[in-house]
Amino acid sequence: MMLDELYEPDRRGDGTREGKPEPSAPLSDREVPLAPVSAIDSVHRWLDGEAPEPTGVRGDAARSVEFWRRLEEETERRRRVVTPPYVAARIMASLPDTGSSTLMAPWWKKDVHLTPALAVVLAVAAFSLGLLVMRLIAAG
Amino acid sequence: MKQTVPADQIDQVDADQAIIARVLDGDRNAFSILIHRYSDPLFRHALGMTGSPDVAEDILQMSFIKAYSHLAEVRGRFDAWVFRIVANGCKDWLKNIRRTHLSYDEDDQPSGFANPEEDLDLSELRSDLDSALLTLPVSLREAFIMKHVEGRSYEEMAELLSTTVGALKMRVHRAREALQALLEEKYA
Repeated sequence: MMLDELYEPDRRGDGTREGKPEPSAPLSDREVPLAPVSAIDSVHRWLDGEAPEPTGVRGDAARSVEFWRRLEEETERRRRVVTPPYVAARIMASLPDTGSSTLMAPWWKKDVHLTPALAVVLAVAAFSLGLLVMRLIAAG
Repeated sequence: MKQTVPADQIDQVDADQAIIARVLDGDRNAFSILIHRYSDPLFRHALGMTGSPDVAEDILQMSFIKAYSHLAEVRGRFDAWVFRIVANGCKDWLKNIRRTHLSYDEDDQPSGFANPEEDLDLSELRSDLDSALLTLPVSLREAFIMKHVEGRSYEEMAELLSTTVGALKMRVHRAREALQALLEEKYA
């Protein structure tokens, strides 16, 4: 026996699904209604700036609105807090003395200041190294 | 998804880059322009996260020194870059505080308000809110402060914290619910 037959509408026996709406029932009765936006959600949306302040709410939602109105006075005051004036001067005074670019650049990116003495030392070192390499090659 | 950057923000980035170039060329004093430009929102963040003005000042100072020392590494927005330094500084401090079980002094509550009269008006709500904020997990506190105290948009928060708008909304909603549960009885 095919399983599909159990659910054929004409069969009123064991195979009929329970709760299946009558074909004649209006469409609106057969649709699952969308969940309504709860009053608390509307409070969150108001606080998020996505909706106007909820009006005509009762119970928990009304208490929430009252609570957040009151808290908003305090958060508004905190929004006006400024840094104490001495802090900027304190920060400037405690900045490292060395130039900023020198501080943060890795050693291989730092500028090399070539003095005449350093140039001579480097030239002698390079010459000596060259001689050493040549002697090793000749000996080998 | 590609985001369009507002024109004024591009101007700001260019202006900051010009100042950074001056500092890197040896004009150390130019760095104070960046400090004045960005210290207030950064201070508010540190103050909200730590609940202590003294600690917030120290974190701000250390963060700007760090920024100065690594200025050549700035790519893109300076304000976003320095924000991350401050935010990490706050998280590090909170980790250490938990480890050492330090507690706050009653006197060590947020101050530094624009109006000195307000500074004296240490309302009950202010201290209760501070205490409640300190009980929140760091990620919820951070999201709540950025949204409600700093007044940032979710998009900006997502950019600064490298996360999604949806995740941040969830954090802010959870923070609100937790704060409300803690304070509602007294203030609703």
